[in-house]
Amino acid sequence: MSLNIVVCVKQVPVSNNLKIDPITKNMMRSSEPGIMNPFDQNAVEAALKLKERFDAKVTLLSMGPKNFEITLRQGLAMGADDAILLSSRGFGGADTLATGYVLSQAIKAIQNVNLVFFGRQSIDADTGQVGPIVAELLDWPQVTYISQIHPIDEKSIEAVRLMEHMQQSIKVKLPAVFTVRSELNVPRYPSPRSIMLSYQKEIKVWDEHSFELDLNRIGIQGSPTVVRKVWNPTKVDKETELLGEDPERAARKLLHVLRARDII
Amino acid sequence: MKKVDCMTHKNIWIVAEHHQDIIQPVTKQLITKANQIKADKKVTVILFQTKEQKLEQQLLNYGPDEIITVCDDRLKEAPDSLIADLLSQLNHKFQPNSILFGATVIGRSISARLQAKLLTGLTADCLDLKFEENLLIQIKPSYGDNIMCEIVCPNNYPQMATVRPNVFMATEIQNKEAKIVIINDMNFIEDKRITVYEEIPLLSKSDSIANADRVIALGRGMSGKEHINKASRLATKLGAKIGVTRPLTDLPSFSVDDQIGQSGSSIAPKLLITLGVHGAVQFTTGITKSKYIVAINNNPKAPIFDIADYGFVGDAKSFVEALLKLIQ
Repeated sequence: MSLNIVVCVKQVPVSNNLKIDPITKNMMRSSEPGIMNPFDQNAVEAALKLKERFDAKVTLLSMGPKNFEITLRQGLAMGADDAILLSSRGFGGADTLATGYVLSQAIKAIQNVNLVFFGRQSIDADTGQVGPIVAELLDWPQVTYISQIHPIDEKSIEAVRLMEHMQQSIKVKLPAVFTVRSELNVPRYPSPRSIMLSYQKEIKVWDEHSFELDLNRIGIQGSPTVVRKVWNPTKVDKETELLGEDPERAARKLLHVLRARDII
Repeated sequence: MKKVDCMTHKNIWIVAEHHQDIIQPVTKQLITKANQIKADKKVTVILFQTKEQKLEQQLLNYGPDEIITVCDDRLKEAPDSLIADLLSQLNHKFQPNSILFGATVIGRSISARLQAKLLTGLTADCLDLKFEENLLIQIKPSYGDNIMCEIVCPNNYPQMATVRPNVFMATEIQNKEAKIVIINDMNFIEDKRITVYEEIPLLSKSDSIANADRVIALGRGMSGKEHINKASRLATKLGAKIGVTRPLTDLPSFSVDDQIGQSGSSIAPKLLITLGVHGAVQFTTGITKSKYIVAINNNPKAPIFDIADYGFVGDAKSFVEALLKLIQ
């Protein structure tokens, strides 16, 4: 048996200058150029490391608008074999549950997949939920927040999961879903040649009719959560006591007040 | 949007998190918050523990109405999928209104797996919670800078959320009785495919900044090697921990675990000194529970001064040098 790896990647905005659709309240992504979510770069790297050691195929999978091709192209240039973009208006407005459902169905449609990688979370929505959701919907074991991977053979892997107060060593039989931390590896930079070659690879685009889906479970209708209100937080400004311009006098004054208040 | 009012779905569940026999602060913080917003609902803590642990004692002082506990030695080093499955069984039996978790590694991993089992909504990393009758209003920052969202799950139960540690304050309540329910008819479906074979406790950095009394935060203006060394010396002298803004997590000395703010840790120190920190919203959401904030930045218009108690407009390095000299 060889490894058939899927890496789920998301494109995230470069800047924080985001526009919110006033009616749907979703982020209007199409106006923003994007980059591959940094943690997903660690996920691609982890898959490529396995490919260096075993007979393996690495397929990138993403759900989003057409310009997510930028991110898939980047992953192909890093060394992935294949890329699939799930793109359709019908997928739009999905929360984590609907996103996880579509990804898990696509993974089933790719067939014979035995390892799925995710980054620990995206840096825009910051949920980290989609990996475990996909694991549950596939009924596979999950190892999240991985900081080390020690493959035993093509059927089982030992991984270290780094948590707030401890690390767990976990042995898992494939198939499985892994989510990875940035501590795991340093993502490779594609060479100019591999960037060029990546343009010869085709990015497959699938919509909701390309694979088996319950249409009630995708997009807005498949999303149990509703964004009811979006706003810019109003700041309550504090009275700031300025310590003057001279660093030494300012430092002296600060130590004085901190000692007076029994803080140091 | 209003949920149908009925006799079931009246319990707010908090899934207790513990490490080395200690109930974690976020669990206590959630009990206090749930008590404040519950109205006619009950606050129930779900406690998974081994037979010898008896951790319910540590929860009672925070005043839950009820503790549902499963005591079983198979819970030691249990994989996420087993805990999610047990929670799913308990959910079907008791039909809670909502299930709250700490937004920790384990809370985020189990809650999402449970969400997919129950096909309901889960909101990550909430900063505030309130109820409109049975509807849980979940407030969270999103999409990076400047945006707050109010998220609801109008058509499904349970309503699930993870809550960032340290956004609420835990308060002890004296003399409150809690009903303790021991469940021992659970169906343990052990998954042979996955084994947690070792757990090593860590003194992790994110834990230490989250619980530290004094924190020094470094921003882009303090990212030079010499600057970091000076700040570290000051931290040692003040007994402070060092945290950073997102750009500094790319440096070899720091990682996401040292990051303060929306996608890092929320902190609640008595004293926070920010050095060369501009004060973007995704940073400041992580420091609002600090008692005294001292901001040092050479830009008088930096938003960090809007929330600082004391400010010094000028070079952060000279200021640190002056402080170091005075605390010799």
